[in-house]
Amino acid sequence: MRVLVVYAHPCEESFNAALRDVAMQALAEAGHEARLLDLYAMDFDPVLNAQGRRRYHAPGANETDVEEHLDHLRWCEALIFIYPTWWYGQPAMLKGWLDRVWIPHATFRMPERNKPIGRVLTNIRIIGAVSTLGSPKWWWWIMGAPGRRTLLTGLSVLCAPRCRTFWLGLHRMDSRDQAERTDFLASVKRKLSRLS
Amino acid sequence: MRILVVHAHPNPESFGAALFRRTVDGLRARGHEVDACDLYAEDFQPVLTREERVGYHAVPANREPVEGHVRRLEQAEALVLVYPVWNFGLPAILKGYFDRVFLPGVSFKLVEGRVRPNLGHIVRLMVVTTYGGPRWRAFLVGDPPRKYATRVLRALIKPTARAGYLAHYDMNRSTDATRAAFLARLDEALAGF
Repeated sequence: MRVLVVYAHPCEESFNAALRDVAMQALAEAGHEARLLDLYAMDFDPVLNAQGRRRYHAPGANETDVEEHLDHLRWCEALIFIYPTWWYGQPAMLKGWLDRVWIPHATFRMPERNKPIGRVLTNIRIIGAVSTLGSPKWWWWIMGAPGRRTLLTGLSVLCAPRCRTFWLGLHRMDSRDQAERTDFLASVKRKLSRLS
Repeated sequence: MRILVVHAHPNPESFGAALFRRTVDGLRARGHEVDACDLYAEDFQPVLTREERVGYHAVPANREPVEGHVRRLEQAEALVLVYPVWNFGLPAILKGYFDRVFLPGVSFKLVEGRVRPNLGHIVRLMVVTTYGGPRWRAFLVGDPPRKYATRVLRALIKPTARAGYLAHYDMNRSTDATRAAFLARLDEALAGF
């Protein structure tokens, strides 16, 4: 399977970097063809600027500067995000990747009168997220799990009609010991080894 | 009242920018002291850097990279956000404002590993926003930006604070009439400050 991994964390020594490495290794071992987009490492600019906003609805022209990212999206069958949840959502770096790359015509068709939004990236049939969260799980749900909804629900309606999603979250990150972190790495590895 | 209005839209000719100007002018006309923070115009950098992440929990040194924004936030008695919903979330520049400015020791405190809200000086919260799609679509996705404002931010400010959420849904099919009606709703909300 062709898998695109989108990763955002500023620190190479972080637990998220370890999650990224385990994920890439598990995918390779399972025989998947995996590509990695490391947004911090590639110094991605997450800010949709005035020019970008003005050509946002212009087919073709709105793909300027993000063609390469769109090629990756058209190529993959599974899309996996690895990032720390900050303030109940994606780091700005990753949110801006959605703002700038998930554009009309290329990734969805604008709704017309009485017609809903149209799917374009029907090649994507799995969307998954691996994230670390400071909050306990119960509080995350009381808050409405906004980051999870933005990614999994928000994007899956633009992909294959039967697009499946999964979420692997490690809560109360700040007080986890080594054994718990190791367990989580193992569960991520297990999940991605079985991806199909 | 001292009101911090934080705005995120790149284009001065947009409806979003019109909402921002209307909000700032409307509040000033009613005698409020308004700090208008236009993140795009101020060229705010939303990406939390490696250095900031490493020093994230070092209170109070962690505020140094964004000291001006922290001071503006601490002086506010009310917080108003004016921005468009993009991809069922906040524009990256605004999300990054929370990532970088809402630090430990600023918007929350960690007491024995537990988060305690720290923006008790903010007694009013209002969000003015626009969605491209209709409300039922936002509802089906769970309306994450609404939850962000009415739950996540709401939990940080004074517990008895009033929180308002003003949204023009379905902007892609908006008309002069719907936009005018929304501006009227905004005026009404501003009068409540």
